[in-house]
Amino acid sequence: MTNLAQLFFDAASLGGLYAMAALGIALIFGVMNLVNFAHGEYIAFCVFALIVPSTDAVAVMFLGKAPALILIPLVLGIGALIAVLSEYAVFRHLRRADPVAMMVASFALGFVIRNILLAVYGGRPKAISLWPELNTPVELAGASVPLLQLIVIATTLIVVAALALLLRKTRLGLEMRAAAENFTMARLLGVRANVVITGAFALSGALAAAVALIMVTQSGVADVRVGGQIMLVAFIATVIGGMGSLPGAVAAGFLIGAVSVLLQAALPLDARPFRDAFLYTLVIVCLLLRPQGLFVPASAKPRI
Amino acid sequence: MMSKLGVFDISVRYGKIPAVTDLSLQINEGERVFVSGPNGAGKSSLLGAISGAVATSHGRIEMDGDLLTGRQPEAIARLGLSMVPEGREIFGALTVEENLRVGTGMRRDVQAVEADVGEILDAFPILAERRHAAAGALSGGQQQMLAIGRALMTNPKLMMVDEPSLGLAPKIVDQVYETLCALQEERSLTLLIVEQSSLRAARVGGRMILMRGGRIVGEGNAADMADREALAQAYFGAPRSNSDMEAAE
Repeated sequence: MTNLAQLFFDAASLGGLYAMAALGIALIFGVMNLVNFAHGEYIAFCVFALIVPSTDAVAVMFLGKAPALILIPLVLGIGALIAVLSEYAVFRHLRRADPVAMMVASFALGFVIRNILLAVYGGRPKAISLWPELNTPVELAGASVPLLQLIVIATTLIVVAALALLLRKTRLGLEMRAAAENFTMARLLGVRANVVITGAFALSGALAAAVALIMVTQSGVADVRVGGQIMLVAFIATVIGGMGSLPGAVAAGFLIGAVSVLLQAALPLDARPFRDAFLYTLVIVCLLLRPQGLFVPASAKPRI
Repeated sequence: MMSKLGVFDISVRYGKIPAVTDLSLQINEGERVFVSGPNGAGKSSLLGAISGAVATSHGRIEMDGDLLTGRQPEAIARLGLSMVPEGREIFGALTVEENLRVGTGMRRDVQAVEADVGEILDAFPILAERRHAAAGALSGGQQQMLAIGRALMTNPKLMMVDEPSLGLAPKIVDQVYETLCALQEERSLTLLIVEQSSLRAARVGGRMILMRGGRIVGEGNAADMADREALAQAYFGAPRSNSDMEAAE
């Protein structure tokens, strides 16, 4: 019998990571009906921004050398910047295009970013040690929990609370919520499309950076493929949560994290390698029962 | 009188289908102008073209000497044009007060914004009561009032109202027009209203423009125009629209 407290911390920290990644996707979908498949590559980009560009097997810290107080805002800024730049270079020109065209463009953009990383850093995963002291275990509620797990859980809560506050209490938040519901009407009231969309991309990119920092600390590996895996889970979370619903994305992120941890613990040993098959079966069941998502947004979301 | 809005020879087409053809129109400062005509006459496309939501294929539009053609809708709104759209288009997930505040981002007179919120909530007690409730829960009439209040919050010089009577009971429509007229006087607004019922326009009073097939086919005092239309209908048996019947009750 696995320790219950241990399970809880595993589930909450994995779920928190998924929730943050899902939020990044849901934010952009909410304002412009774009499923941004390049989001995973923003994460990978932020990971590699930590190390010196080279194709050597050993990673040499670059930005990663900076103290946390400087490093964290810097990486969040880099995430925001690449997201905003990609909007400026690609998506801005497709705003009147079909959502499918935008989605395909996001795939293409993702491949471009990934291949640039491959060209500059090489394809082999690199060992990278960011804040290794955070992986020391702490005794809590009878469980031995890596400090990082607690930090991930706290970070998720802080990020979600800060985002909720931003959306509820600030001018940009009000405009983003209005635009998410009816972009044309918001513009007719003087809400600037560029401000809202740039804001959404910046927030989304910063979320990708937060995910990158957590993943790299947890795994100790910089791998170009890192983005693809989490992007898939995050995308599924936004669909299960109800496309465009931010609370839905958070809840579904936590749900998927919790279910994977539970499956990992509860499945018979022989079945564990196939955990994801069970997980995605549950996803299918979930969608069959509620194709509109577990948390449906208050209204349909027309685009600009 | 000064010209507020000048529409010069504009055309709007959706693909190959023309919605508005070579239309010109002048609206003076402080005027109240109704646009009437059957479904598909191009009334909403005209408003869309002025607000920047719909592209024109030809012609130009000016407000206070500023060229509106080719500008983004948000830029036009920032020049002082506000819109109460057909179907009201309330932000249902936002609260009543938040709906009022969406359009205030362009305003730097913070104190006046607060005063305006208070004033509009005073003018519509039902909105004050539901101030912090989701706007989607309001009735149709209340949503219409909210849409008008929301448009006023941008502090517009010219306000366009598209089919304010759509889907509302005649009594509520009376209230909506009373409110619009009172607000116009109070704030020296210029109003451009799409109203399918020429009888309703005649009762409220103002200039009326009759559109058909994307063109202006008649223009004059609303009361005279409604008489003329009634006469034409009596002779030619043109079908009366539902809203005419409603207003006639």
